[in-house]
Amino acid sequence: MSPAQRRKAPSKRQAGGSKGRASPRSNARKPKATVPASKKSDPRDRLRRILFLVPYAVRHPGIPVRDLARRCGCTEKELLEDLDFLLGVGSPPFAPDDFLDLYVEGDRVFVALHQSFSRPPRFTESEAAALAAAARALGGEGRERAVKALRDSVPRDRRASFDELVERIYAGAPPARDSVLGRLQRAIAERRAVRIAHHSASRDAESERVVHPWTLAQRFGHWYLYGLDLGREKPLAFRLDRVRECTITDERFEPPGEADLARARLFSDPQGEPIRIRVGATAAGWALSRPGLRLVKRLEKGGAIVEVPGASAEWTTRLALSLGGDAEVVAPPAARRHFAEAVRRTLARYA
Amino acid sequence: MQKDQRLLDLAALLLKAAEPVSWREIQEQFAGDYAGKGEAAIRKFERDKADLLELGIPVRWIAGDEDLPAGYLIDKDEFYLPDLKLPPEDLALLYLAGSAALANGTFPYARDLAHALNKLSFAARAPGASEAAALAARRLSSEDEGHGAGAVHIEELSRAVAHKKRVHLVYLGAERRDRTERDVDPYGLFQQGGAWYVVGWCHSRSAIRTFHVARIESLEVNASAPRTRDFEPRADFSVAAHATRETWEYAHHAPVRCRVRLDPPLSAEVLASFGPRARVKEEGGGATVEVDATNSEGLLRHVLGLADRAEVLAPKELRDRARGMLAALARGLA
Repeated sequence: MSPAQRRKAPSKRQAGGSKGRASPRSNARKPKATVPASKKSDPRDRLRRILFLVPYAVRHPGIPVRDLARRCGCTEKELLEDLDFLLGVGSPPFAPDDFLDLYVEGDRVFVALHQSFSRPPRFTESEAAALAAAARALGGEGRERAVKALRDSVPRDRRASFDELVERIYAGAPPARDSVLGRLQRAIAERRAVRIAHHSASRDAESERVVHPWTLAQRFGHWYLYGLDLGREKPLAFRLDRVRECTITDERFEPPGEADLARARLFSDPQGEPIRIRVGATAAGWALSRPGLRLVKRLEKGGAIVEVPGASAEWTTRLALSLGGDAEVVAPPAARRHFAEAVRRTLARYA
Repeated sequence: MQKDQRLLDLAALLLKAAEPVSWREIQEQFAGDYAGKGEAAIRKFERDKADLLELGIPVRWIAGDEDLPAGYLIDKDEFYLPDLKLPPEDLALLYLAGSAALANGTFPYARDLAHALNKLSFAARAPGASEAAALAARRLSSEDEGHGAGAVHIEELSRAVAHKKRVHLVYLGAERRDRTERDVDPYGLFQQGGAWYVVGWCHSRSAIRTFHVARIESLEVNASAPRTRDFEPRADFSVAAHATRETWEYAHHAPVRCRVRLDPPLSAEVLASFGPRARVKEEGGGATVEVDATNSEGLLRHVLGLADRAEVLAPKELRDRARGMLAALARGLA
């Protein structure tokens, strides 16, 4: 029996015959639960978790301990410790009915008394500002409406701080409306299938796919579409800079299950042979701090060989050219030929 | 009493109270915590109030009148997260934006963002809610997922930006490859090309400087007086304006009008890459783009990055420089 379970039944309700009497706090209060010092760095995290878990349990009566812990982003053990701790939280006069009462019965969590913690508190300014910054970067027509709604959900006293903070984070320019990213974003929101022309790096060929777009993820400095590939009948990740075209279809789809999405941030990107670029001293510092580029070795005089995993010869050629003469694609041979060819053709324009 | 418990007890008391609770009553009920007549007890209570506000719980002082006693109160309308009243597509956008940012692994206020997505599931249901919440929960449980120093630095810089605290940086310069130490007043954070930058007043250079977060070797936030601001950002400074400068808009020389030819087919991405201030004239499926550059080298690199689909038309010097660069590359490849 867990501590929370043991505590559940007998103590409060029965000892609570003396309802309404102002009992001195020291008597009424249950023995303090021993809670190990939190391993998290931010001490507010536990309180924030609690302010979420109580209303969540109110809304989902009988939610399994495991599910509630997962939703709160903590372990079952931590959750049970939280529940234990909560038994000691209440308000004066600390009569039995003045305490929070969440209990576990048969591995499920029930709320007997929520003491007005039935909904989570308003957004803090940093919660709302982070979400607003993310929304602004993604664009979409409703973004300013959304930012305003977020602002209104911050306590009045903190709105000035929100206004200030939201100006201090700039997460990127929103995608152009008809860009691939812009279209995908609409398709995801409207739950509509997309038809994409995608270049596969592992097979070095372009193919047309129909995909149920589930979500977008930005990893290693690249945007990815993650969704169900209807042709292959499995979820796959598609790097957006390899999607040449994207059309939104009329076909609607059902949202994916949570388990399916759990993989959205763990996907691996099928990759062909990595392409290598030699960069000179001036470009090296820049190239090495760019996400998605890997150092292979340093060269004399500050140069370096860097590797671009999963990029196409086309993409890498353009990257090297944008380094203004201080970089060239060196391997594999096919990519080097692609680069040399591009240099030749571009130079011809200036003849 | 444990602080967490005191804060929740206080919130429960003030939420339940039908009318404002006087300071005296609070002192009585929390005798072990706010005992004594002195300033110390009041200050402790004020700190708790500030902590509650940081959790999104506003405690208000009511002056009182003939009907109401003076005291403290939590107004329920001001406490509970309201319904956002947004159409489903806007909500879907919020969920999508939040979860994409979390999946990124590096985002300012990432933990706050995860909490926000969790809370959002109360304020609104919309397509995208469950996946966003699942991501948020994972973010909260994965303390050390190995996102590396970058994610930790971003988190610390986020706090420093919010609280206006000075930071001490050990920074690896890009092109000179030297290591420098400096004190910076962080004005804000911005993302460009998938990388995060902090911009602020650099005390060593006495100027506004931008730092690539991935090149910060170590970082120390001024720990003294955490609730006191170390600086005020310059009023005329805008992070968004700074971040949206194109590379050819960095101030290196007097403005030069430049023209670029783009071949068909034009993609929305390529057109957008010249920024909102570019003047675009579409013709024959392609386009001519005109910009005013104060760092024409930046424009040249951008155009070269489009390979043979684009070319610099004017000025002549820039065109010559493009030819020179490409010719040198071609010689090396031959």
